[in-house]
Amino acid sequence: MEDYKFLFKVVLVGNAGVGKTCLVRRFTQGLFPPGQGATIGVDFMIKTVEVDGEKVKLQIWDTAGQERFRSITQSYYRSAHALILVYDISCQPTFDCLPDWLREIEEYANNKVLRILVGNKTDREDREIPRHIGEDFAQRHGMYFLETSAKEAENVERLFMEIAVELMEQAKCKELPKYDGSLGPINGKTSSETSCCLRS
Amino acid sequence: MSLTLLLEKYDVSTEEGLQKALNEIEKEECEVNEALSSALSRACTLEGRLRSASQAYSKLGEVKNDAQVAADMVDKTAALARDVSAKVRQLDLARSRVAECQRRVHDLIDLRVCSAGVEAAIKAQDYETAAAHVSRFLSMEPGSVAAARARGPDPRTDMDAAARTLRDQLRIKFEEAAKIEDDASVERLFRLFPEIGRAEEGVELLTRHLAAQLEASLRRAGQSRSGGAVFADTLTRALETAAATVERLRRLLPPHGHMLLVQGLRGLQPTVCSSVRRIWSELAPRPRFRPPQDKPDPLRLEPALSELALALSRMQLYFNFLRRRPEVTVNEHDPSLSEEARAESVRVIDRMIAESDMTLTAQEHLAHYLELERYFLEESVNKAIKLSAGEDSGAGLVDDVFYITRKVIRRAISTGSVDGMCAVMNEAGAQLERAARALRKGLSVTPHDVLPLAPPRTTPAPAPSEAELYLAHLAEAEAGAEWTERLATEACVEAEAAVRASAGACDKLRSCAAGLSGAAASFRAVTELGVSSLRAALLPAVTAWADALVDPDSDVDEMCVTDELSEEAGALPAALDTLADTLRGRLAAAGDLLLAGLMDDLLTRAHRTMLRNTYDRRGGLATERRCRRVSLWAGTGAPSVRERARSLSAAAALLSLERLEHAPDALPPAALTPAAARDVLARRSDFKLEDIKRLKL
Repeated sequence: MEDYKFLFKVVLVGNAGVGKTCLVRRFTQGLFPPGQGATIGVDFMIKTVEVDGEKVKLQIWDTAGQERFRSITQSYYRSAHALILVYDISCQPTFDCLPDWLREIEEYANNKVLRILVGNKTDREDREIPRHIGEDFAQRHGMYFLETSAKEAENVERLFMEIAVELMEQAKCKELPKYDGSLGPINGKTSSETSCCLRS
Repeated sequence: MSLTLLLEKYDVSTEEGLQKALNEIEKEECEVNEALSSALSRACTLEGRLRSASQAYSKLGEVKNDAQVAADMVDKTAALARDVSAKVRQLDLARSRVAECQRRVHDLIDLRVCSAGVEAAIKAQDYETAAAHVSRFLSMEPGSVAAARARGPDPRTDMDAAARTLRDQLRIKFEEAAKIEDDASVERLFRLFPEIGRAEEGVELLTRHLAAQLEASLRRAGQSRSGGAVFADTLTRALETAAATVERLRRLLPPHGHMLLVQGLRGLQPTVCSSVRRIWSELAPRPRFRPPQDKPDPLRLEPALSELALALSRMQLYFNFLRRRPEVTVNEHDPSLSEEARAESVRVIDRMIAESDMTLTAQEHLAHYLELERYFLEESVNKAIKLSAGEDSGAGLVDDVFYITRKVIRRAISTGSVDGMCAVMNEAGAQLERAARALRKGLSVTPHDVLPLAPPRTTPAPAPSEAELYLAHLAEAEAGAEWTERLATEACVEAEAAVRASAGACDKLRSCAAGLSGAAASFRAVTELGVSSLRAALLPAVTAWADALVDPDSDVDEMCVTDELSEEAGALPAALDTLADTLRGRLAAAGDLLLAGLMDDLLTRAHRTMLRNTYDRRGGLATERRCRRVSLWAGTGAPSVRERARSLSAAAALLSLERLEHAPDALPPAALTPAAARDVLARRSDFKLEDIKRLKL
């Protein structure tokens, strides 16, 4: 048995090509693999981080964005502790699809799941979605918000670390002494009254 | 000693002095004589040594001369050797030049034969000979050809022209043979392409021919539709035909041609893809329904699901078959090929598979299968929950759900797709948790008189029918946890065996199977909830029994017959026995858990009440009798309960003492602390407090 105190499942969703795999690779391996092919089905990575001197194991599920994998990826929503919804700040259609993704999350995920909206590719010059638009959207839907660049390693570490911290706080609130194999959701304060944006 | 010194030392003027000096002189003379004789004795040794030294000197001179002669000879030999090796080198050079010349002469002769022969052979349609000429020409040293060119017209022009003619002829003949399906000629002609240095072109032609043949047989395979599972059967036949063609291609290729094989596979794949796509879109079972208006019975979907799973597994098999082809070829013909070259060919095949349309079809297929499977699972579980909520048939929800989920997981494993297995395990976990929630709902209200524990001096009411149902639900929740754990382990083992997957895929499978264990935790939580509800429901009866246990006013007269006394004391153990019997048949570990909980409640309450009551000796005696019997009863139970019953019994024993001074002897070791014992003794109305304080415990 590995030595860790908490285990959290983090699932990344969003349109194809917004950089989900790159975010995961950047965080877990410190790499930015250019020319990354489309993800098939679901990929799975693990990284153990330390929060307040305690080991937290993050199980990161990187899902395929293409439509034909939807029935595979949907099955991962239910057991997720955190859902990262990613769009590409330089591609309006990926932002326009967010309501569809939210509907899917409503349908399949637990309503207490921690939800984070991420605008990726801040390194691109051709931004199409201003920061405040993303921020507003997140606030309206009770989500955390962060803009990242997997290429420049900007905010990536922070994104996952804040998730780990938040989930650990929730777990402690619920006095979950240790991960007990139950993948049930963690009751936490993620509803709209306490949600705020992570400000950089 | 010199004469002067002698004269100074001795007085020679006197006789005595003279005598002394003389003695001295004589003594000295003796010493000198001795020294002389010893020097003389060494003289002959010295002479001998001098002689041998002079002899050695003369010999050394001879040796020096010899050495000089030897050195001169060595020098001469070295010079000779140098000369010889230089000559040998010259000879070698000459020989290799001769060999070169011979080869060139051969080449030139051959070249003439080739140039002359190739035209003739082509004219005579003897392509084997023509190809052998071209092959010979291609294997010639460039130097020979250059030498030939220096002597006259460029032979390459002729040969190249001949090779081109031959190639064109071969292509034409190949295409003619392919058109009339003359497989023997096709194979004979194909083998000539590598000889004229155009192996790739040959493979391209052959692949095109095989693909055309494959296309025709695939169409034939797609037309004969009979039997039940038309889609899966047709797809299987098509893939088998494709595999046979791949094998034929592999056999025709020259040894060491693993990269040619990869090229051939690339050529064939589009034909296979389009055929698979056609079969999928024309024949795949697509039960048409539109939830929530139109909800077919899940059982009606079973044949379609099995067929889809079978077809998926066939596609996976075909992909695996393709992946292994280069390896098989290399192992047959070229086992010494480097790991890198092997890995490269596998990489190319993997890329080809990933980019092929068949992969896309397989993904769409998997999505369709998963959608149906999810519907089947959800609806089947819905049905089971509905059934279990019916009036009579309470039991069986967990049985049903377990049966359904196991079937679905096994079907998903049979597809051979790791993502499919993971998705279905996730869905199965969700459904098991739903079943646990349904059970929880059934356990939220505890019926009256659920268990036969009536308050003392009343007869237990007959258990209502809901009571049985309640206990059955609880037993199911208990079984649910165990079965789900088993299902998770089983699924993991079977899935890993089925896919022989990489480490990453195994991690994925294990993590999804852990989701099933999560459902087991939900079942356990439901069991705990049921046990604590039962404990709460029985609390009034337990309280009444606890009060009766330590009741100071015994109804039974001390003078009564012992039977009656024993009956009064044994009432609680008898009631507990009835309860335990009822639980034993219905619950497993949960029954023990419940009994332990009830006893805990009972003993805690009894102890507290005892410290509030006041006892005389008679009341104490009766209490001691009852507590002893309970302690005996608890002796076979859980250790914590046993300890508490023992301590209650010890306290009751203190209440039944005739004299306070007997207390230290009556107290069993470590049953009560001195303070607790004093508290108990204080409840006896006839014991004085100051005496109790003075007591040494």
